[in-house]
Amino acid sequence: MSILSILKSCQKCSQATGAIVGILLLVQLLTGLLLAFYYVPSVDHAYTTVSYIEKVVSSGSWLRSLHHYGSQWLTLFIFLHLVQLFLNQAYIFCKSQWIVSVVILALVMAAGGTGYSLPWDARAFFSTRVAEGLMAGLPLAGRNARLWLLGGSEISTLTLSRFFAMHVLVIPAFLITVAMWLLFRSRRLAAFFNSRNGVAAGLVFVALAIWCWKHPAPLGPSVAEMPAEYLPRPGAQFLWLYQSLKYIPGGLGSLAGVVLPGIALVLLVALPWLKAQRVIGAAILAACVGLVSVMTTAAYLSDRRDPRTWTQLSKQAAAEEAARREPFKPASIIVAAAAPAAAADALNAPTMYRKWCVQCHGASGEGGRQGPFRFPPLRNLSAKPRRTADDIVALLKDPRAYDLQPPMTSFSGKMTEDHMRQIAEWLLQLK
Amino acid sequence: MQPAEERPAFLRQRVNMETNDSRRSFLKILPLGVVAGVFASIGGAAFRFLRPRLAAASDRWLDVANVSELSGPQPITRKVVAQHIAGWAVTTEEHNVFVLPANGNQVLSAVCPHEGCEVAWQQNTNRFACPCHESYFAADGSRISGPARRALDTLPARVQDGKLQVQYTSQA
Repeated sequence: MSILSILKSCQKCSQATGAIVGILLLVQLLTGLLLAFYYVPSVDHAYTTVSYIEKVVSSGSWLRSLHHYGSQWLTLFIFLHLVQLFLNQAYIFCKSQWIVSVVILALVMAAGGTGYSLPWDARAFFSTRVAEGLMAGLPLAGRNARLWLLGGSEISTLTLSRFFAMHVLVIPAFLITVAMWLLFRSRRLAAFFNSRNGVAAGLVFVALAIWCWKHPAPLGPSVAEMPAEYLPRPGAQFLWLYQSLKYIPGGLGSLAGVVLPGIALVLLVALPWLKAQRVIGAAILAACVGLVSVMTTAAYLSDRRDPRTWTQLSKQAAAEEAARREPFKPASIIVAAAAPAAAADALNAPTMYRKWCVQCHGASGEGGRQGPFRFPPLRNLSAKPRRTADDIVALLKDPRAYDLQPPMTSFSGKMTEDHMRQIAEWLLQLK
Repeated sequence: MQPAEERPAFLRQRVNMETNDSRRSFLKILPLGVVAGVFASIGGAAFRFLRPRLAAASDRWLDVANVSELSGPQPITRKVVAQHIAGWAVTTEEHNVFVLPANGNQVLSAVCPHEGCEVAWQQNTNRFACPCHESYFAADGSRISGPARRALDTLPARVQDGKLQVQYTSQA
């Protein structure tokens, strides 16, 4: 094979789809960065901050819509790019570009999956449940995979934090690294962005911008206000998975939803070194196209055909539209004033209490914690057993006799019994 | 240098482009223009998106107590509930204030003017004391001693429909 033909093939590899993927990646990075200025990844504030972006912040709805629909368009175009590379036999002539494109597809799907959970609306909650189920059903590692995904034994604010960190830090870091490596190491930036590809990418961006201007990104009811009959639907790029899982029971679903796509991705990455690469690649890509188009159509049709489902989905869409027009409901944060009594108590604390006890148990006996140690509050002691004034004096002399653990120590050598009794009497009048 | 005709096709194309300067520079600028367009449109939205939101000055009058309940020589400790709207959160804050019936229902903030701890009224010594750094204030709020350098702050107050009301600002 001559150098000339390799060069020609590489030029072919740099088709318009590559430039479109580049522009859409740029859009995702810019809009994602902006959304992070308002978003809070915690179950009690995530939904509020997202609806604040939607309803209050100028241009917020458009930027979020760009991020939402942009991720679906990106998945579509990266796949088209892959098909185009395959037809040009990039797995032989431009191995690096082929591998990077497969990796970008995987990363974009992962970003879409984790990002769907972030608004913490009803949709997000159910998509997190699906991810949980897929992990739990994995053979052998299922139990641990589920725990590691959720960050605990159930879906909680820790799960949301994990998805957030994956979505905004880990996955973009990988994406930027592989994309930059491809563009600069192989000096293909200029080839990607020749004038024709540039125009194509520009047109796609304009189309996306107009679409997002007309269609705000969906935001369902918050998890707290979710009606019992709510029917969740995933984003367009995951409809195929959602529909497939309907046909496959339990653990088999995990095989079909995680293991098979995983094997397909590994095979695609390894394609340059496989025998019969043409057949394997064509089979995988054709299977993807077939599965995704058939299942996506099936998902739409089955919703359309079942009148009860269709009524419910229409009702949800109407409710969402109505919720969009409602004024923004801010989150409520309540800061209570210190009880004036506590401040007065602190002033009356005996000198020896201030000297020896304050560090751990607080100025007015409110307790506290330092690192792994928790120091019990000393208020309302009169309601507890074995805490008369005599008990407290005895306890200060020998804490072990009262089953107390270090760092509580004996104060026999540090203060007189009178001091101890002063402390005990002061403590007992704290309420 | 060999004649252009003898070069491979993809190099010949380059030579052609070099001979047509204005066309070449236009074609080079075009993709840059597309990227610049994306940056400009999102950047324009970003400017609106990130523009700081100024909180409206709080001029709400908060109820402290019924005037009829306020009497006697001692300062009376009351709580007022103030609401702050900041972005997506409404912060409801309780603050302690002292009403001085002996002083025409003057209302003092409980925030120590030194480091912002809450002072408490000590009945036995007839003074306000700060638990943090032991600043002391007289019953009318004037400074007696301690690291605080001025008296307790007086809050703007009025009587409306038999109710004593104040405007709470954290830094008077």
